Amino acid sequence: MPHFRSIRTRRGRKKLVGGPLELQLTSMMDILVIILVFMLKSQAATTSAFMGADGAELPYSRTQDVPPDSHHVVVTREYMAFQDQKVLYFVPQPGQPAPGEPPAEAKPPARSDEPVEPLKLEFHKEDLDEGGRRILPLYDALVQARDKSELLRSKSSARDEAGEPLPFDGILAIQSDKRIPYDVLRKVMYTAAVAGYRTYRLLAIRYEE
Amino acid sequence: MGINLVPMLDTLVTLIAFMLFSATFLSVVSMDSPVPVNSAASFRNRADQRPLQLTVSVGSDETTLWSPFDRIRRVAVPHLQEGGPDVLAVHAELVKVKQQFPKERQLVIVPNANTPYDTVVALMDAARLFDPMDPPIYVKDETGVDQAEPQLFPEVVFGNLLGDS
Repeated sequence: MPHFRSIRTRRGRKKLVGGPLELQLTSMMDILVIILVFMLKSQAATTSAFMGADGAELPYSRTQDVPPDSHHVVVTREYMAFQDQKVLYFVPQPGQPAPGEPPAEAKPPARSDEPVEPLKLEFHKEDLDEGGRRILPLYDALVQARDKSELLRSKSSARDEAGEPLPFDGILAIQSDKRIPYDVLRKVMYTAAVAGYRTYRLLAIRYEE
Repeated sequence: MGINLVPMLDTLVTLIAFMLFSATFLSVVSMDSPVPVNSAASFRNRADQRPLQLTVSVGSDETTLWSPFDRIRRVAVPHLQEGGPDVLAVHAELVKVKQQFPKERQLVIVPNANTPYDTVVALMDAARLFDPMDPPIYVKDETGVDQAEPQLFPEVVFGNLLGDS
């Protein structure tokens, strides 16, 4: 009875004749280098000092201005944070989950063209003064940050034309959940103004058309 | 004898994994708004000059475009049936005002207390940026050449930081 060897077996044997199999890594190196260069380039072009904060769903905007680094305040439905440090919690509303807990019922995300219902947020009484306009813990944090910034600028060798330290830029970026009512944002802006900040920088997610 | 590419390959794979992990796929953008500053002297000067001071006030049922010095006709844009300002209609009215006052750059926005941040940003977009379908608006520069205005009213100021007015 004749013995028939399969083609696959014969091919496998032929390869082993020349020694151990060697992978051609040069083409793979080329691909990886191209991917790396592409990623480095795109990362350099889109680097932003601001990341999405937990619990803050930002609105969309058609503007193209990428925010440079600055002091920033985050306002979510649960808390307010300055420079990633939580400065206050809002009063928990009935039916609202406790801080840190996920919502009881996951609602589908609203479409960008649908009107957004504002949240009902309430401050603790001890957190407000000046007739409810100024947010005390935020004011303290802002003043502390401004003083620190001014101290650093006074120690820095960078000077203006008159030889004076560069003035405090006074820019506050506001990163807020899209459902936060203007009444809360107005308190944040008022507090920033009395703490010596001169420009508000409202943050949003770029709307890709 | 060829170069041993395996360690280099390992490095590249590690780098790419690290960059993918640290990459941010959301691009954050910003809109600047200066703190409104006013004084009795500047108010007197402004009253004499009667500037446009275009103001967009968000009410409970409508959004109103007006000028404190009556430089434009007061326009009320009803809210959408679903609720919230009709941003497209407001934008169309702002373009008409810009055609009347092409050199004007400032706008005062007065949201009400319940206006969500999403609507504030949408109104700022409508006030600051042109739509592709908007008619171009030209302004003569120092040399007398017509230049297309790149933005509608780029300087948006909040007018009611002290409370509803």
